[in-house]
Amino acid sequence: MSAASGSHRAGRRTLADRDGFLAWVFLLPSVVYIVALVAVPFGLAIALAFSDVTVGDPSYDWVGWQNFERNLGDPVFWRALGNTFLFTGVSMLLIVVFGKVLANILVADFRGKWLVRFLVLLPWTTPVALSTIAWLWLLDSIYSPIDWTLRRLGLIDANLNWLGEPTLEMVSVIAVHVWRLTPLAAVIVMAGLVAIPRDLDEAARVDGAGFWRRMFEITVPLTLPVIAVAALFGAILTFTDMTVVYVLTRGGATHSSEVLASWAYVRGIGGGDVGQGASIALFLFPILLAAAIAILRSVRRMEVL
Amino acid sequence: MNPAPPPPSRRHVLQAGGLTAAGLALAACASETEGPQARRTGAAGTPAPRTTFTEPRTKLSGTLSILLWSHFVPSHDKWFDGFVRDWGRRVGVNVRVDHISVNDLPARIAAEMQARQGHDLLQDISTLSRYEPGVTDLSDLVQEADRRWGKQLDLCRRSSFNPNTGKFYAYSPGWSPDPGDYRVSLWQPAGFPNGPETWDDLLKGGSEIKKSKNIQLGLGMSQEIDSNMAARALLWSYGASEQDAQERVVLNSDEAVAAVEFMTRLFKGSMTNEVFSWNASSNNQGLVAGRLSYILNSISAWRTAQGANPKVADDIGFVPALRGPKAALAAQHVMYNWIVPSHAKAIDAAKEFLLHYTANFASVTYHSKLYDLPGWPSLVPQLSGWLDADPFGARPANKLALLKNAVDWSVNIGYPGPANPAVGEVLGTFVIPNMMARAARGEATPKQAVAEADRRIRQIFERWRSRGLVGG
Repeated sequence: MSAASGSHRAGRRTLADRDGFLAWVFLLPSVVYIVALVAVPFGLAIALAFSDVTVGDPSYDWVGWQNFERNLGDPVFWRALGNTFLFTGVSMLLIVVFGKVLANILVADFRGKWLVRFLVLLPWTTPVALSTIAWLWLLDSIYSPIDWTLRRLGLIDANLNWLGEPTLEMVSVIAVHVWRLTPLAAVIVMAGLVAIPRDLDEAARVDGAGFWRRMFEITVPLTLPVIAVAALFGAILTFTDMTVVYVLTRGGATHSSEVLASWAYVRGIGGGDVGQGASIALFLFPILLAAAIAILRSVRRMEVL
Repeated sequence: MNPAPPPPSRRHVLQAGGLTAAGLALAACASETEGPQARRTGAAGTPAPRTTFTEPRTKLSGTLSILLWSHFVPSHDKWFDGFVRDWGRRVGVNVRVDHISVNDLPARIAAEMQARQGHDLLQDISTLSRYEPGVTDLSDLVQEADRRWGKQLDLCRRSSFNPNTGKFYAYSPGWSPDPGDYRVSLWQPAGFPNGPETWDDLLKGGSEIKKSKNIQLGLGMSQEIDSNMAARALLWSYGASEQDAQERVVLNSDEAVAAVEFMTRLFKGSMTNEVFSWNASSNNQGLVAGRLSYILNSISAWRTAQGANPKVADDIGFVPALRGPKAALAAQHVMYNWIVPSHAKAIDAAKEFLLHYTANFASVTYHSKLYDLPGWPSLVPQLSGWLDADPFGARPANKLALLKNAVDWSVNIGYPGPANPAVGEVLGTFVIPNMMARAARGEATPKQAVAEADRRIRQIFERWRSRGLVGG
């Protein structure tokens, strides 16, 4: 009996000691998650993009490149593509700048630091649909508290129609993206900032380097790889997001703030043409892949240097 | 100092859990026994209709799951849930009802149809013609309803029947009209004490009110449902439409260009950029807030105001569809479309429930506070009396009397043709309000805007026509 239990324990030890086995056990949940929720839907999207599947008729008929060709001849598609790039480019720039500023604040020592950190991270931790609805109310054409405040301060005479004027509509969408993604960038950059050896900074101080000189000659070059990662996250999360645009403007009158993700939803679900919607959504993939490869390569180059 | 209490043992946790579960079960049973109140009275003492019951044509059992919208009038849902439970108990069917926001319905229905599983009975308030290939033909149900209650309204039939396939892909037992809602105190000084009667009145009075009081009209031109309805009403009133009776695309016409030109003038004279940012509740909010002089909507904005701000509610009046150069027509505001997906397991129960629901449409109308009108008019003989003397406290009591003739000035989406899948896609991708907005914003001339919209609509029709679902 004792010999049997001893050999059983030895068997368990053997299994637990096998690194390869353990590695798979620990990786398996992530692998299952990625395959089920990323790989399968992605494969499905590719298959649907080459089909004539509609919401009411899931039967699959191959239509080749027809859906993609239709997209190229559709002015709304081009407008949505342009808006997607515009929103992503401007948001990414602002997210990185504000993220860096915030990170500097977050690493500094001051009273109530935990409260500031909590408040800064709040936009990122709030579900995007919920926070965007809050912005929808803040930017309401009648009841906007922002307009009310500006009116009280004597800065405007009438409400600004944040979501009705084409330019303000774009500004509003970008502002909400920046507001919700800046905390993420700040946390990523913060991790880079705390990794900079303190003696480098102290040596620069001793040599008489001021704040800006230390910033641009020590801090920024050393945190560039993490800033690039923050930019990458900001770009991907803005590029693929449809919630902000859909909740705030539903794409806007005359598609003035339409993005690829919202147009894919409108065509695929609202219009019922699932194949067409999938082909629009798929346009995001090669662009995102190219951007991700370019940024990650430059990050590696920076690390090597 | 008292010693710290010992941590709860597993036995305690299990006991507490069991007691909680038992308590919840008792509470659930208690609420179930309440059931629907068969007879209640409205605000003015008008009795609620009695629930009628007819034995199902076949023996039923099992489970029936229903997905429908959260009604704009919440009292409807409270009544509906009890009504369904009561029916389920009587016929031996376990019924589950899920209400979700109207904005979430398209995605939810699409997901269930793609997955080929989900609820047995689905409802939306817009056309569901694009689901035709994946749903059960309800011709037998409509025939039975016609046999019991006479002829169904034409606009309901056109919203649920595809003449090309001969299939009733949906069942439309009710609808809501889309009258004009106006603020009496604003239109009276502008010279229109009874509100506008024509589109020209709207331009004249609306411009005057904007000029004198800085209060605008509320016809949306954004990607939402009310904008879709308003734009169509204007097109029809000018004699234009997206398709003809034979389902041929006919938008590119002088009449459509004239309608778009008119909308541009109406926007410049009496509206602001706010109308480009609207969602489905914006015009309701604006009217109740006193920031809009006129909107095209159902009666729900006014019903809300009755509770929240009676003074404002009393100041809201209603007018029928505005007359244009060719006609006075408005789209239905809501069309109740029920579908039974092919994958449904309880098809017989779904059909029998729909018959029971339709038979009690007087209760539907009553508990929706006259929001829902019947697709088979014979079912609600009280309707005329209710509209003349509103049971829910309208001041004046006959405020809704104009709805007695609502069917004369209301048409289905896709009129003069049926609400086919192409019309559904045009509606769902907001081609018509975008056409109006492009011209109003000055991005295109009315002629260019109509030509571009016509091109888009032709492409959409062509695709659905190739599937054999659209005629022409």
